[in-house]
Amino acid sequence: MADGSLDPQGPAAESMADLWWLMLSLGVAVFVIFAVVLAVGLFRRRPPEASEPGAEGPRRFHAWMIGAGVAGPLVIIAIVFGATVHAMRGIETTAPPGALVIDVVGHQWWWEVRYPEEGITAANEIHIPVGRPVALRLTSADVIHSFWVPALGGKLDMLPDHTNILVLEADEPGEHVSRCAEYCGLQHTLMTMVVVAEGEEQFASWVAARRQPAPEPADDTARRGRDVFIGTGGCASCHAVRGTTATGIVGPDLTHLASRSTLGAASIPNTPANRAEWVSDPHDLKRGVAMPAAELSPEDLAAVVAYLGSLR
Amino acid sequence: MSEGPAPPPEGQDGLRVEEGLTHDELNRLFADPPGLWGQLTGVQNDKLGKRLMLTGFFFLLLGGSFDSLLMRLQLAIPENDLLSPQMYNELFTNHGTVVMFLVILPIIEGFAIMTLPLLLGTRELPFPRLGAFSYWAVLFGGLLYYSSTLFRLVPDGGWFAYTPLSGPEYSPDLALDFWVLGLGVAEVGAIAAAIEIIIGILKMRAPGMTLSRLPIFAWSLLVFAFMIMFAFTPLIIGSLLLELDRGFGMQFFNPELGGSSLLWQHLFWIFGHPEVYIQFIPAAGVVSMIVPVFTRHRIVGYTWLVSALVAIGFLSFGLWAHHMFAVGLPPLVLSFFAAASMLIAIPAGVQFVGWLATIWAGRPVFATPFLFVIGFLIIFVIGGITGVMVAAVPFDLQAHDSFFIVGHMHYVLIGGVAFPIFAGVYYWFPKFTGKLLDERLGRWNFWLLFIGVNVTFFPMHIAGLKGMPRRIYTYTEDTGWGIYNLISTIGVFIIAPGIAVFVWNVVRSLRRGEPAGNNPWNADTLEWAVSSPPAEHGWTVLPIVRSRHPMWDQDDLHSGDERLERFVRALAQWPLRWRAGLIVSTADARPQEVFRVAGPSIWPLVAACGLVLTFIAELVKQRWLIAVGVLVLVTAVIRWNRPEDPPMTKEEEDAFEREHNVAVNAGGSVVVATWAMGLLILFVGIAFSSLLLSYFYLRLENPAWPPPGIADPDLTWAIVAATLVVASGFGAFAARRRVRAGDQTGFIAALGATLVLAGAGAAVQFRDALQFEFGGTHHAYGSIFYTLTGFILVAAVAGLIMLGMALYYAVRGQYGVRRHATVANIARYWTATVVVWVVGFGTLYVGPRLV
Repeated sequence: MADGSLDPQGPAAESMADLWWLMLSLGVAVFVIFAVVLAVGLFRRRPPEASEPGAEGPRRFHAWMIGAGVAGPLVIIAIVFGATVHAMRGIETTAPPGALVIDVVGHQWWWEVRYPEEGITAANEIHIPVGRPVALRLTSADVIHSFWVPALGGKLDMLPDHTNILVLEADEPGEHVSRCAEYCGLQHTLMTMVVVAEGEEQFASWVAARRQPAPEPADDTARRGRDVFIGTGGCASCHAVRGTTATGIVGPDLTHLASRSTLGAASIPNTPANRAEWVSDPHDLKRGVAMPAAELSPEDLAAVVAYLGSLR
Repeated sequence: MSEGPAPPPEGQDGLRVEEGLTHDELNRLFADPPGLWGQLTGVQNDKLGKRLMLTGFFFLLLGGSFDSLLMRLQLAIPENDLLSPQMYNELFTNHGTVVMFLVILPIIEGFAIMTLPLLLGTRELPFPRLGAFSYWAVLFGGLLYYSSTLFRLVPDGGWFAYTPLSGPEYSPDLALDFWVLGLGVAEVGAIAAAIEIIIGILKMRAPGMTLSRLPIFAWSLLVFAFMIMFAFTPLIIGSLLLELDRGFGMQFFNPELGGSSLLWQHLFWIFGHPEVYIQFIPAAGVVSMIVPVFTRHRIVGYTWLVSALVAIGFLSFGLWAHHMFAVGLPPLVLSFFAAASMLIAIPAGVQFVGWLATIWAGRPVFATPFLFVIGFLIIFVIGGITGVMVAAVPFDLQAHDSFFIVGHMHYVLIGGVAFPIFAGVYYWFPKFTGKLLDERLGRWNFWLLFIGVNVTFFPMHIAGLKGMPRRIYTYTEDTGWGIYNLISTIGVFIIAPGIAVFVWNVVRSLRRGEPAGNNPWNADTLEWAVSSPPAEHGWTVLPIVRSRHPMWDQDDLHSGDERLERFVRALAQWPLRWRAGLIVSTADARPQEVFRVAGPSIWPLVAACGLVLTFIAELVKQRWLIAVGVLVLVTAVIRWNRPEDPPMTKEEEDAFEREHNVAVNAGGSVVVATWAMGLLILFVGIAFSSLLLSYFYLRLENPAWPPPGIADPDLTWAIVAATLVVASGFGAFAARRRVRAGDQTGFIAALGATLVLAGAGAAVQFRDALQFEFGGTHHAYGSIFYTLTGFILVAAVAGLIMLGMALYYAVRGQYGVRRHATVANIARYWTATVVVWVVGFGTLYVGPRLV
């Protein structure tokens, strides 16, 4: 999961990395020239002691000013600006034809994900097909967040009053992390998301599986868990599980929770033990999270955890 | 430091004897009263400057330093749980806030207030009391901000306080109010000091110190002070809107009711970007002072360097959106701001060439101030290079809000600002204490900081490129960021002893430092001519400047044009009863006016108390107390500016005036008052423009304006009010002409008519604003409507008070053909108010009908 902007996995990130390497080489050149002039200027041998302070503006220094002070920087910034405009042409602000459209809504502190064409609702995990542009329509339900997957491209803010479109494309299959890049309150740090780039076939089967309603619980414990979830546990007032009467919209959709690799906006691995702890005391894992600790008997808790584990 | 030209022999001009006679009298005259009362009423510029600097350093130690240490400890290893998330968020909020508002600014303003009179060859700054007010406001504002800790309501919205996170819905407790209001007080203080600095530099200099002989440090402070006016005013307006949302339920930043989430960012960065240059420009000025002295060579390209400073000042206001590249601006706007941001490289390049060429041509002497300058050059050039990089939009979309920016910004601010401040302290410390700082400790100080800063901040660039966002309190091991963070943390433990060595050096040298003498560095500018530490009044005989480097080029400082010589000698012996300051013409520094500089007064402190009381009242939501605070503030300001009876007769003034052909105003300066009024009008104009910008921004963000259900405002009464106010503007004009013509009756009649017309206009408008069925809290339309209306009416009421006072004094016969500067100034203010009125209400009433 260690992937930065210098390890580009898609065309947008690539052009940004190219721009970086160009600017780095220019920057190093400028620094070296500067350092040499400074060092020679400081330590060069000088003619014997002069008693008067040097005169203000020997004529040759005007040439220095015009050459090194104005023309030099002008040439460098002209190159950088040209490269900037060139790279900006590659940044799309509308969905290109054939793009997969995904709506991502930022919440304090998790990500709501919808695939409008496919009719899928998910949370904290995005799957995208390799080699196809993806248009992310970004908004926020509360404060300003920012969507950023460095390996695939630059960041774009998620605003409550505008929809921003970020077009990304993955060249290779791989798993990346999106971290919120705009300070959004207490748990800004733990607002992360898994972004999975996969081949068209795997993606299609993922979509197909995601379109299914939640599976019927297979055993009694899970069934009891579902009843607690919908009934006395109160989970359903915030969470939705498609195929049941749970239709809450405050928290993440849990229809296929067990198929996700993480919990708590990609802050911990999705294991049975973590699920149990998350339900019984989410604040211990992620302080400040909106979800209250569920007050359940040990049996009910085990049942709910079993039920959640069955939501594949 | 024995190389270079010998310092000019002192006392060669035969003035020594007389000087000795009046030196003590002047010293007493310009000193603050003794004891605690003197502390509270004091206005002496050296003391105020020192206090401001110490206060800034105190705020740094109180928060700005320990919090960075704690944050680095927390991030040293992955998944550390030393700090809670809440604590971490509070720490980075505090770190940014304190450094940007309460540390660097007071230190630079303190530097300015302390050094300027000596540097410019004058005895005081034009408004000692305004300087005192500025100090108290910065102190009280900082304390109010910090007091949040006592109530466990520490602000946690970041130093940028982005809406809606900082709005009432997502930050409901009072923590953000401490931030808005505490800083608000300090911001007012910053603007007050800026006014003092601008007029001081432009109008109070030694005779002969033309603008082209002005030391570059003074130029940089001039640009700095103008930038404060243009940058802090929009911030104050932005803070006002935020507090109206938070405290009064308005909707400026609430997207659900017509507000905009991005309006705050625009207002904040119109301030926030120039703020960086506000800190850098004086630092560059310090560098331009120190380089020539320690290379024994006049600065190369003086005119180029000054032009570059001015160019940076202008350009920096066209760059703010480069902090907003990721908010989704249109590509054309992005390209514009990218190009503008990169253009800064040209004036910055000119500065560098000037310094490098001077070093190249000169003979470097590696004393501590110069070491810090070399450190500045190296660190700042790296920060400048990464600065051009982040102006390249596509790369910035990766770097923005990542640790790359944290690295970049600390290279700029530590290299570009902190190092020159250290250089400046080592350079000027001997002047103001009489003791040299220790050179050996100075070298330790420098090397520890230089190495520590690079070890701390360089790895941050790499962590950022590897995807580490800012403002996160922890990270997992598999990110691979651990090693870079560990190195950064180690770096802090090199910086900390560097700071400790500095503090020790200051403490040690104060007690047993080597005596400095007048000019230990063999420097070229005026402040090195007077004794170290300087007398309270600085100069007994004002210097006559004939060169850009008077200490190098002039055999003595008291000879020149014969009339000037007689004038400065006369001014050394007359008047010894009141504090005489000299005003010179702006460009060529010819004596223009001798005026009475204000002395110690308790009213600046009272005014600052009134200001802070107003803001505390808003904090605790006791609205009646706001009225009390405003009353205290207004009363105190009127009291400290109340005309005092001249301590000498008109005949005495006239005698001096005839002899030297320079106006004397023992009652108070005419020139300075006019400039102050000009700057006040500028302040009102900038504030008003910021509100207009907010109006049009909200209008463009809203599909319907006014929102459905609200009718376009009816024009009738607004037109009546505007007609009355415009008529009053002509009245003020007429009053000014009548008094100039010596027609007392016509003058009083015109002034009275102005007051009646203006009052009637304001009353009609006020009545009209009350009758609308929409409120200020239902929709952003109402919020901006009432806020703009309120602003204009407040500006008008301030004008009405001035007109009323003018009428009062006019009836008592205070004004005449020769003395009517106050009337002219009030007329100017009122004319500006009329313009604001017409444009403002024109926008509010006619605006919705257009298109």
